Amino acid sequence: MTERLKYLRLCAWSGPAFLAIFIVFWGILGHNIPPLPADLPAQAIADHYRLNANEVRLGMGMSMSFAVLYMIWGLAIAKVMQYGVEKDNDVLSTIELWGAGLTVVPLLVSSSFWLAGAYRPEGLDDSVLQLFYDLPWLLIDVAYMVTSVQMFALGVAFLKDERAVPLVPKWLCWYGIWVGFMFVAEVLMPFFTSGPFARHGVLNFWIEFFIWFFWIVALSGYVLIAIGRLEAEARGIVVDARAPRLAPAGSVANA
Amino acid sequence: MLDSAGGAARRRLAGDEGVWFFITADLMMFAVFFAVFMTARLDEVALFEQSRQRLNPAIGLLNTAILLSSSWLVALAVHAARAGRREAVSRLLGLGILVGSGFAVSKACEYTAKISAGVTLLTNHFFMYYFALTGLHFVHFLAGMAVLGVCWRKSRHEAIDGRFLVWLESAGCYWHMVDLLWIFLFPMLYLLRAA
Repeated sequence: MTERLKYLRLCAWSGPAFLAIFIVFWGILGHNIPPLPADLPAQAIADHYRLNANEVRLGMGMSMSFAVLYMIWGLAIAKVMQYGVEKDNDVLSTIELWGAGLTVVPLLVSSSFWLAGAYRPEGLDDSVLQLFYDLPWLLIDVAYMVTSVQMFALGVAFLKDERAVPLVPKWLCWYGIWVGFMFVAEVLMPFFTSGPFARHGVLNFWIEFFIWFFWIVALSGYVLIAIGRLEAEARGIVVDARAPRLAPAGSVANA
Repeated sequence: MLDSAGGAARRRLAGDEGVWFFITADLMMFAVFFAVFMTARLDEVALFEQSRQRLNPAIGLLNTAILLSSSWLVALAVHAARAGRREAVSRLLGLGILVGSGFAVSKACEYTAKISAGVTLLTNHFFMYYFALTGLHFVHFLAGMAVLGVCWRKSRHEAIDGRFLVWLESAGCYWHMVDLLWIFLFPMLYLLRAA
């Protein structure tokens, strides 16, 4: 019975691994945490590529190599949804997996544009290099909905969990739905080069990215615990997973 | 709310407890927006005041009245659901949606008038915040209307039981949050004068 849960822990660990790699290589080495301000002149963006070309090449190369981990993480979540909360209908887990898989696309493609900017910056005009910095930011921000549908689908599915102690707590389901919902503010980003809605602004970068990062960490923890619980249920340790939690022996029930 | 069980009364949150996490997170996010707006206003008080005067506070007041009335109708629908009065639930929810839809009409007219007059979110910082904040609020409004629509449909075709009540209370709490956000947005954008 536990055979079908094989490999899932490894898949679930892909989420934190993706996040760590993403922050270090895409964010720090790639100079995207924080992003270069959108109101910088083209020359400043071009200077960035020319001065930091090798860092950006390494950062984006690694970012592209490991972006697929997000999809593998999504697969772990989908399987926990299927085995843990879905009955005869796998629509939500399918949407979740597609959402995770499609999230990889803007990550890969935008990283390739940053990489292109760093490839031979000395031979390109400043305005071209500026384009190679703007374009990936527009893509990675405005393609938010592929990630939002992942958040909505898994949030709704885990909210239907009838266990006394759900596999994923309700607050986290709602938090994910909220994060997916708040991503809509990214639509404002193309209109601004300064202020809170610009790519480097308080909202569109600092809040939006970090609420997503926190969600990945928290959800990974609960998915890993859920895999253990599903294994226990499969072994019959929890006879009726949907029964209300019993009070410990000897305890006095509160009226 | 008081919920009596086994002779003892205990307090519980209305609706699904998890939805309160959503509401709290959303309110905190908007609190950040309000703080950012007020900080930006300090730098350009004259411009913000001049721009504010181009808004029509009567429309803002109308929007407030629409949202509050709609919320009141939804609250009445919750009471009717607790009493198991299916027809009243359905009727009140339908009315709540109908009244609430007036906000969309009013907002569409307001946006159209502004854009026709050449005022957009790129006009200046005040209008950037005006369109962005009211736009984000409007997305919340649309989501609320959709959820109320689901509740209305359930009230016509499904049992009015504890499960439905959780749905309806959760939707009602969210709908009140949409009001609350507007109650902050209205004075901040339409009424706040320069000292």
